[in-house]
Amino acid sequence: MPDITLTIDGVAVTVPQGTGLVEAAREAGIEIPVFCHHPKLVPVGMCRMCLVEIGTPKIDPATKQPVLDENGKPVIAMQPNLQVACTNPVSNGMVVKTNTAEVEFARKGVLEFLLTSHPLDCPVCIKGGECPLQNLTMGYGPSVSRFDYDDKVHFEKPIPLGPLIDLDRERCILCSRCVRFEDEIAGDSVLGFANRGRAWMIQSKSNPPFNSKFSGNTVDICPVGALMNGEFRYAGRVWEIKPVPTVCPHCPVGCNMTLDMRYRDIKRVQPRSNEWVNEIWLCDRGRWGFHFVTSDKRLTKPLVRRGGELVETTWQEALEDIAQRLHGVVQNFGGNAVGGLAGGRLANEDLYLFQKLFRELLQSPNIDSRNGTLDEPEHDDLAYAFGLASGTDLGQLGKGTTVLVVGADPEEEAPVHLLRLRGIKRRGGELIVANGRPTKLDASATRTVRYQYGHEAHFVLGLLSAVLEGGSENKEFVRSRTKNLDALRTALRPFGVAAVAEQIGVAADVFQAVAQSVAGAENLVIVYGREAFAAGTPLLQALGNLALITGHVGRPGNGVLPIMRYNNSRGALDMGVRPGKGPGYTNVVKEGLTAQQMVQAAGNGKLQALYIAGLDPVAANPASRAALEKVGLLIVQDLFLTPTAQIADYVLPASSFAERDGTYTNAERRVQRFRAARNNLGDSRPDWQIFAGLGRALAAMVRQPALDTVAASAGKPTGKRPAPAQPVATARTWLYRSTDDINAEIVQQVAIYKGASYAQLKSSHGTWGRQAADDPVFYDGTSYTNTEGFGVQWPTLAEQTNVVFDLVFSQPTTPQPRNGELLLVAAPRLYDGGTLMQNAEGLSFWVAQPYVGVAKADAERLGIASGDRLRLSSAQGNVELYAKVDGLVGPGTLLVPDLAEIPLGQVQTGVLTPVRVEKVEG
Amino acid sequence: MLSDKYAAEIAGVLARYPIKNSAVLPLCYIAQDEYGHLSIDHIQEVADILEMPYTDVYEVATFYSLLYTEPVGQWVLQVCDDNPCCFTGTEELVADLEDRLGIRAGETTSDKLFTLQRVKCIGACHRAPVMQANLEFLGDVTPDKVPGILEDMVQKAQSGATLSISGRFAEQ
Ligand code: SF4
Ligand code: SF4
Ligand code: FES
Repeated sequence: MPDITLTIDGVAVTVPQGTGLVEAAREAGIEIPVFCHHPKLVPVGMCRMCLVEIGTPKIDPATKQPVLDENGKPVIAMQPNLQVACTNPVSNGMVVKTNTAEVEFARKGVLEFLLTSHPLDCPVCIKGGECPLQNLTMGYGPSVSRFDYDDKVHFEKPIPLGPLIDLDRERCILCSRCVRFEDEIAGDSVLGFANRGRAWMIQSKSNPPFNSKFSGNTVDICPVGALMNGEFRYAGRVWEIKPVPTVCPHCPVGCNMTLDMRYRDIKRVQPRSNEWVNEIWLCDRGRWGFHFVTSDKRLTKPLVRRGGELVETTWQEALEDIAQRLHGVVQNFGGNAVGGLAGGRLANEDLYLFQKLFRELLQSPNIDSRNGTLDEPEHDDLAYAFGLASGTDLGQLGKGTTVLVVGADPEEEAPVHLLRLRGIKRRGGELIVANGRPTKLDASATRTVRYQYGHEAHFVLGLLSAVLEGGSENKEFVRSRTKNLDALRTALRPFGVAAVAEQIGVAADVFQAVAQSVAGAENLVIVYGREAFAAGTPLLQALGNLALITGHVGRPGNGVLPIMRYNNSRGALDMGVRPGKGPGYTNVVKEGLTAQQMVQAAGNGKLQALYIAGLDPVAANPASRAALEKVGLLIVQDLFLTPTAQIADYVLPASSFAERDGTYTNAERRVQRFRAARNNLGDSRPDWQIFAGLGRALAAMVRQPALDTVAASAGKPTGKRPAPAQPVATARTWLYRSTDDINAEIVQQVAIYKGASYAQLKSSHGTWGRQAADDPVFYDGTSYTNTEGFGVQWPTLAEQTNVVFDLVFSQPTTPQPRNGELLLVAAPRLYDGGTLMQNAEGLSFWVAQPYVGVAKADAERLGIASGDRLRLSSAQGNVELYAKVDGLVGPGTLLVPDLAEIPLGQVQTGVLTPVRVEKVEG
Repeated sequence: MLSDKYAAEIAGVLARYPIKNSAVLPLCYIAQDEYGHLSIDHIQEVADILEMPYTDVYEVATFYSLLYTEPVGQWVLQVCDDNPCCFTGTEELVADLEDRLGIRAGETTSDKLFTLQRVKCIGACHRAPVMQANLEFLGDVTPDKVPGILEDMVQKAQSGATLSISGRFAEQ
């Protein structure tokens, strides 16, 4: 876009066309105060705080040329009235005055007016200290009011606007930022204005009220103390708060946030701005879900089983005993008799040490980051090769971008992704949402596709056919970067558009239209989530092929975005906590057991020792309890005495994310640092410390020669770049002093993390023109400025332009419900009532009651009514749930919200489970 | 259901606008004439027909003083209490009406015949004090005229004539 030059207070400013006046002034370092204007919202000009004088070059009507004065300068025609700056885009030659007496007078007037109805209760207002109304009044307002104090409007104060947010209507200046955020950014039209005149007020009329997973952001951007974080009210003053940078542990978006500490207490959680990840937003789970940290159910002492009871012990004793016994098992039975499960909630540093402990010291290939239930999908390797290329910023994509969402429910799985995807659509991109059921994202989609569960892969194979049949593949890319297109064509023969359309009930022209959008787009982002993982490798391969044949990999703005279960599921794979692949997706010599196989082996008495960190197989499937009880040495490391911990021989208390340093890798493969905000609870220790302690003890026992060869390869310097910290741990010593030491080793050992040293994570490659958080004038909310760096997105394989990819194909399978069986689908829920939601009372309101959703047609056929109690049974077992007959799923499918309270693992035989349904008394 | 009972009228209204949202006022009129006022359920019905968020219809319903979110009487008397009317006797008028009807402004008589409300400017300052009764404008309403006016209204109500409380029948 062409640049525009204008003059503001005598300063010439050049900005891109379309820039707003307020932003242009900021570029020139000139303050135009605002209330209603927000850089992420469409300007509305509601508050009049930004009044300025505006003039434009006078045009001669006859010649259509600017009129010049005697000095040859254009004559400026000043507009007779003050204008609002926020809704006025810049134009060439524009002259703006922000500091005239008239402007100052107007600002005074606007503020005096705003304050006529304002209660002036700053001393007891939670916004005090970070309130734009306070700040602008100090800067521009009158010092006295001419209005009668007794004439102020009074409302009951405060009232709950929703379960988490309180509203003080007296303080509201009716700027509509909150309403616009919910409408524009969140897509939840749940806030509105009621009445008019002095009775004008914000209301939420949704049922339940303020039904949005993003409600907390409205508190941040409210320019007064009208909207309040109910929990933070009277919990402290902002100037007493010390914000500690961290990364949200709840989902794989990896939102940057702070733990706002008042002494030792977490008082609130606030977003840290990171335009690459969460902009300035958080979802409500991230914001209010921190209370598990201070739960009194946290483990604080190592426990050991003595005489059938778990009793307290010391770290030294526990670690020495465990090391002894593990060593004994390895000596007597070999490393194959040992297994390890470490989940995607651990930090990269923990996970790296965990696999190192197993592979190097215990000689065991058996490690995994899953629970071993039957519904767990294969590990995702697609993102390693075709992930969103490094440099991708979802917040910048728009026109020219197609987003294809398959089998994902971003609102429930990765809420802030929903905002980002809506943003792409808002900026002109196409958003195609394909799923077996409606999701919230449908409302924002340019096209929705509904397929039958079990036919996810067919749908994508149909798309592949549509691309190839239409000849719209990227021929150059296919020629230079892929092989075996012919084999793929052959394999796709039974999956031609016509055939698939017929088979899965999606019209042929839908395939063509989607294929056209995908192939024709400049950028393609493929998002898939838990319901897509259910379809397994055939679907993932098909998605990979789709990206490949259309040439949408290896370039910024292109690639796949898998949404996995835990916040650091990606990191667990990166660090090689899985059988068969080591850190950095490297091949390992010995293929180990998967989690499922380990549970099986345990049941068969073949596993002598099992170490479980941050996972809970027994809760996921109570039936695995019997198997795990047979393991001679069961070690569980966790925050809580989980059902699995309850049957363990040793229980090791781990620190929470709030008590330690580390890094998480988000769904976009961005490695981000989080910091310790408080001391370890009781005797709990960070996971990495526990592994390191065990490693030290074991290293001393293991025969040395074996280790020496490992040690020799470990300390190799990388050459070019000076390492930030030289690893001090050797295979012999296992002496890691802090996560810095582990990071240094990861950077050296794991090729994809070469650029992810702590020093590099901290670099903040450019800012986005955001003001410092304490900018009193141009207020975009109470999110904090990012001081911890924006993290590093590790590069995908496809970014190496010499890599050629095989267009592999695997035959899709469809679960075959037998006579009368229905397909059980677990739908992810953000508010799942799981471990990390413990003590989060504010959120408990939103945790759904367990139910099973039945399609209307099935309900009629089977004589089921809402409220009936149903038993769903499979070969594996059964669960009982109340029925809810709704139109959300198609016939043949049962939809169960994936809540911690429902032991779905008990019935699932695979990712999609055919179940028998019967009514029971209840 | 409005969508069944007034299917043709609604279709006609919708056909007048390029986007559905624009029909929110006419539909609120239909709902209000049918139900007498706009309760949560009634607003929801309108929202459903227009595929609008409930909140947005609610905003409209509470913004206009001729849309009632609470039950009202057959006659809604809206007395302007803005400046010009106040100078010419609004307070006396309101007091008089309150007296005669036995209710306070904002209330409805027990026989559900009258609702008395204060409103802001209704755009007829030259005839202050003014009052609007349903859709009729009454100017220069001095207290001496009140008995006759009320008597008239009682009769009209008893005659069984359609007393539209919304703009839907404004032309009739
Ligand atoms: S509550 Fe806050 S954000 Fe919403 S309109 Fe009022 S002042 Fe603006
Ligand atoms: S979107 Fe995910 S990472 Fe972000 S705040 Fe919510 S739960 Fe946390
Ligand atoms: S009118 Fe411009 S900031 Fe509110």
